[in-house]
Amino acid sequence: MTFKDCPNWYPIFLREMLMFRRKLIKMGYLFSAMIVPVIYLATFGLGLGKSVRIEGTDYLTYLIPGLVAMSSMTNSYTWVATALNLNRIYFKTFQIFVQAPVSPFSIMIGQVLAGMVKGLFASLLILTVGFIASGTLYFTPLFFVTLLINCFMFASLGVITGMMTSSHEDTSTYNNFFIIPMAFFSGTFFPIDRIPEGLKALVYIFPLTHTNILMRKDYLDLSGIISLIIIISYATLFFVIGSRLIRQYSE
Amino acid sequence: MDSKLIIEVSSLKKTYTIGSKMLHALDGVSFNVKEGIVFGLLGPNGAGKTTTIKILTTLTKPDSGSCIIAGFDLFKEPRAIKRLIGVVPQENNLDRELTAKENLLIYGMLHKVKNLSASIDEKLSMVGLTDRKDSMVSQFSGGMQRRLLLARALLPEPKILFLDEPTIGLDPQIRRQLWDVIRKTKIEGRTVMLTTHYIEEAEALCDTVAIMSQGNIIALDSPDNLKRLAGEYVVDAIDETGRLTQYMYKTHEDALQRAREIQNGAKVRRSNLEDAFVKLTGKRPE
Repeated sequence: MTFKDCPNWYPIFLREMLMFRRKLIKMGYLFSAMIVPVIYLATFGLGLGKSVRIEGTDYLTYLIPGLVAMSSMTNSYTWVATALNLNRIYFKTFQIFVQAPVSPFSIMIGQVLAGMVKGLFASLLILTVGFIASGTLYFTPLFFVTLLINCFMFASLGVITGMMTSSHEDTSTYNNFFIIPMAFFSGTFFPIDRIPEGLKALVYIFPLTHTNILMRKDYLDLSGIISLIIIISYATLFFVIGSRLIRQYSE
Repeated sequence: MDSKLIIEVSSLKKTYTIGSKMLHALDGVSFNVKEGIVFGLLGPNGAGKTTTIKILTTLTKPDSGSCIIAGFDLFKEPRAIKRLIGVVPQENNLDRELTAKENLLIYGMLHKVKNLSASIDEKLSMVGLTDRKDSMVSQFSGGMQRRLLLARALLPEPKILFLDEPTIGLDPQIRRQLWDVIRKTKIEGRTVMLTTHYIEEAEALCDTVAIMSQGNIIALDSPDNLKRLAGEYVVDAIDETGRLTQYMYKTHEDALQRAREIQNGAKVRRSNLEDAFVKLTGKRPE
């Protein structure tokens, strides 16, 4: 083994991947991970199906990018927030990172990259199920870049939650108050234009709204550039705050 | 013995806020540790032993005080110190969903261990876990997990080994096996700092013992000197209700004299570290 020259974040990332691989080997996990996208596609996509048209396309085709945005958000966020909270408070495994000669920045990178892989894996499942259901594969360079930024952004937010919460129950509270409303009101299931004017300002604050806008664009126009700047700003902000919380960690 | 100081702690304070109450975990702790010795922190629950270890191993930030480890300032150069230390925590922080070998692999990579594969095999052999290297840690007994924690802490060949209650809850046979590893660590030239509830452990392993009580160090010396400080001879007297009362004396003659005066009979024996502990803290070790 020649691990001496590996980057400092790599062992933190590798640890998560070893555990993730073990979960994937258990087929029960894979089925449970697929059940949520299948339910969404069956209820919203196949239910409304080809009969409803939104923005010039059938509903199923409209829905798939939204589901990818939502699923990449929840998986990147939840995996990181939950694991970090448990590792910090219950299993105490976070201690070995703090006591190792690596920077808080490296710990942050390792955690965020691991969260991104989990978000990307969930997205791949949605795209696969969506392809089987609709027969079209939704994929553009802008879609892929946006997906990566979205996973990075919400994995970083997951670190913030994982570092700040004082119990496992608190993680669920954050999920119920921020993540779930964002999943439903950010243009995942229906266009933002149909939201009442009074609520639109709030919806445009949600980072996921801008991910949805970008994922449904074929090319980058002015509104797309604005959304891209917004999600990059959110991603940077969350990453800086997460790194700072790790730096300030004290038991 | 080399008299060079490897740990210099001065006026360390740490207060925790629990609800509306302030808990002074450390109230100005100061001590020095010589290089190459086994230094023990002994004290009842809540004395501040674990908080001290957590601060010295960079896990907890103190409110004030200073700490120099191997010439590095703990608060200005923590990464330099992290390269020199190995830690066995009180609470098992192994990854239960990984194998023994994977646990050591991740730790070794974090600490940039040279020849990692060979080092992992060597450390697993040292603690007698070679044939279980590919087993999940969740399948390990408490004793096996403690041995793996010790192997992990020694993997980067640390200059200083910190052990927080290293043998808590283990049966006597496993405890003695771990003592052998700790003694070997000292023979190899490392400094060992440990906390323990077990008086016999402190007596068997430590060159110097600091007795802590309520966030302070109340006595610091070799186990023999601490025994002398408390009185070298003990008179154990049992009254009609079965209650044990102990009297400590500097000389054997004084102890014998006292024993003769006790009507129900009494036994005279040499004092041990537990007697010194009880006399200094007013509490029996758990």
